[in-house]
Amino acid sequence: MGINRLIAAATISVLSASTVASAAETIRIGASLPITGGLSVSGEKHKRGYELCNKLINEAGGILGKQVELIVSDNRSDPATAINQYERFINVDKVDAVYGTFSSRLTFPVGNVLSKYNMVHPVPSGGALRIYAQGYKNLFYFQVNAAEYTGKDMIGLLKEIKDPADAPKTVAVVHADDFFANAIATGLLGQKVIDPANDKEIADLAPGYFKEAGIEVVMEEKWPEEGFNDWLNLANSIKRSGAEMIVGLTASAEEAVQLMRALKTVGASAKLVYLSQGAQTEFIEGVGKDAADGVVIHTTWHKDVPFKSTLAGKPFDNADFVKAFEAEYGVEPDEDSAIPFAVCQGIEQAIVGAGTTDNAKMGEWLHARTKEQPVQTVLGNFSWDDLGLPVDKAHIMTQWQDGKLTFVYPTGQFEGVVPFRYPKSGF
Amino acid sequence: MTDILQILILGLALGGVIALMGSGLSLVFGVMRIVNLAHPSLIICGAYVSYWAFKLWGLDPIATLPIAALIMAAIGVLLYRLMFESQAKSARYSEMTVLLTFALAMIVEGFLGAAFTNTQRVTSPDYATDAFFIGSLFIPKGQFYAGVVSLAIIGALTLFLNYSRLGYAIRATTQNREAAELLGVNVNLISMVAFAIGIGLAGAAGSLVSFVFSFFPAKQWEWIAMLMSVVVLGGMGSVLGTVVASLLLSVVAAFVGTWVGATWSTMTFFLALFVILLIRPQGLFGEKPELA
Repeated sequence: MGINRLIAAATISVLSASTVASAAETIRIGASLPITGGLSVSGEKHKRGYELCNKLINEAGGILGKQVELIVSDNRSDPATAINQYERFINVDKVDAVYGTFSSRLTFPVGNVLSKYNMVHPVPSGGALRIYAQGYKNLFYFQVNAAEYTGKDMIGLLKEIKDPADAPKTVAVVHADDFFANAIATGLLGQKVIDPANDKEIADLAPGYFKEAGIEVVMEEKWPEEGFNDWLNLANSIKRSGAEMIVGLTASAEEAVQLMRALKTVGASAKLVYLSQGAQTEFIEGVGKDAADGVVIHTTWHKDVPFKSTLAGKPFDNADFVKAFEAEYGVEPDEDSAIPFAVCQGIEQAIVGAGTTDNAKMGEWLHARTKEQPVQTVLGNFSWDDLGLPVDKAHIMTQWQDGKLTFVYPTGQFEGVVPFRYPKSGF
Repeated sequence: MTDILQILILGLALGGVIALMGSGLSLVFGVMRIVNLAHPSLIICGAYVSYWAFKLWGLDPIATLPIAALIMAAIGVLLYRLMFESQAKSARYSEMTVLLTFALAMIVEGFLGAAFTNTQRVTSPDYATDAFFIGSLFIPKGQFYAGVVSLAIIGALTLFLNYSRLGYAIRATTQNREAAELLGVNVNLISMVAFAIGIGLAGAAGSLVSFVFSFFPAKQWEWIAMLMSVVVLGGMGSVLGTVVASLLLSVVAAFVGTWVGATWSTMTFFLALFVILLIRPQGLFGEKPELA
């Protein structure tokens, strides 16, 4: 018995020593993602973005001369599991840094844990304003702006309509009862943003983007976050509302496909259909080229936008990312992979910039970014305000045109913008 | 009035598909007392069969329904032999099947995710997003075809159960396993056949679901609660009850979704489950359990 215990203790010591030695030679980064469960469609793409980025970094010699070891865990789309996994990354795996998870629903609770341990929390997806109103010090959002302010760019796009008299005057807003979709709707409809933890008002967004633009909301409806199947009935209600513009704020790309197929089936017609998801490659397959034609989707990334960035200290533009992704996975990337890639670039630049994996110093370096000295990613340049929201970033408005996802807004900033096609050609 | 008729049509159209999704689950429970939590994941397997047949060779999902049903029935035989045969005489058989099928659901989801990724899929024959327009009313073609095929399959199943020797044996095993065995029915073989039919129905439902709903491996968790609601409301083991409950709940959900709000339409299924368990646990068509 005594000998057995001795052998066991020796084995554990050897294993522990080798783990410590291994950890010292590498930079460990943890990411909890929804690889299975309701958010798995986007979760798996996020995994690809993180993995490709780290592979390229390691091939170029790593960060500060060390190889990066990426630890990805599947949180099954469950907030409690995501919290536990980040706790484990920090306390058991002893990671040097973390990447954020997917969705506002998971990011909100995870933010509290990462703040507790003073970790830099780069957020790939989690745009609800209430996340940034919690006072966490080291949050950095790697998209455009809080979801509540999305309407600003939507209205900006409507101003591109050549004949203002022909612009939509009525709108039906339908959305998932989901953190992110509710947040966009709150801004559009001019409602109050309330902190769920203490019912405190975070912001009053009255009168709302639609009212400001003189567009009447003739229908507002939301569907449950999970398990909703009655898409045809919802589409029929939208059709009966007679709205000239349909805004569908979905929690996932899958819901965007369901909603569009239902609108096509019931023969709903609107001058403009605007969705919060649908830039993904599966959208066109599920919806079909004709029905998708003219649909506008806001996004943070588009393959043709000539964003300049760096990776492993060398120029690595958006076009390089598209090429590398296609070579690795055999398919074209979409924003669900580009965004986590940008998060990975941001953390790499923060470690190099701070010269250490000390998260406090990384956070200071990221906070010190400015328009002139930004973090450079495949999503463009980033610097952040005190809340952790990006400064001076606008959504890219994409539109399906003849089976291709083009980008139509903002105009005058990049090459490659094509004219906004309006009104929608129908289903 | 037109609005009411339209909502009724949409509710019935959805209910027809849900009926087929739930009927295999009900049959398997009725004959074998297996609460098959993996049923939705097996429906998704059937959906993948039709999806790939459509994508690779352009085959219509209704045409590939028999293939999906046969493949899944064969898988049903394998699963029965591997997982349930040796447990059939266990005193805690039903409870064990809950755990076994829960594990199976997770394994199937993992396998499908590894094989086909977690990307959502949907089969898109032309009729899937088309409708028959009759004045101001419309009948969605996809749901209509799926509902008609579903009810035809369930009708054939009912005839088979009521008028064939094998059907008699299955029904006898459903009603009293021990008595059927005493009368010479090979209950193990009958259970295997019934399980294969149940899983075959899952495959058939998958073919229809593939153009009615988009799907991905994890979609099963959204469907299991809905299916359990219709099976419990109809009466565990009653295929007819499942059909009636599916149509009833889908129609009620459609009215709730339109008049109260879409947020509450899904709740209809769970509320029905809650209420029926409180006031009539045996469901609409189930038999009241005898007290020991």
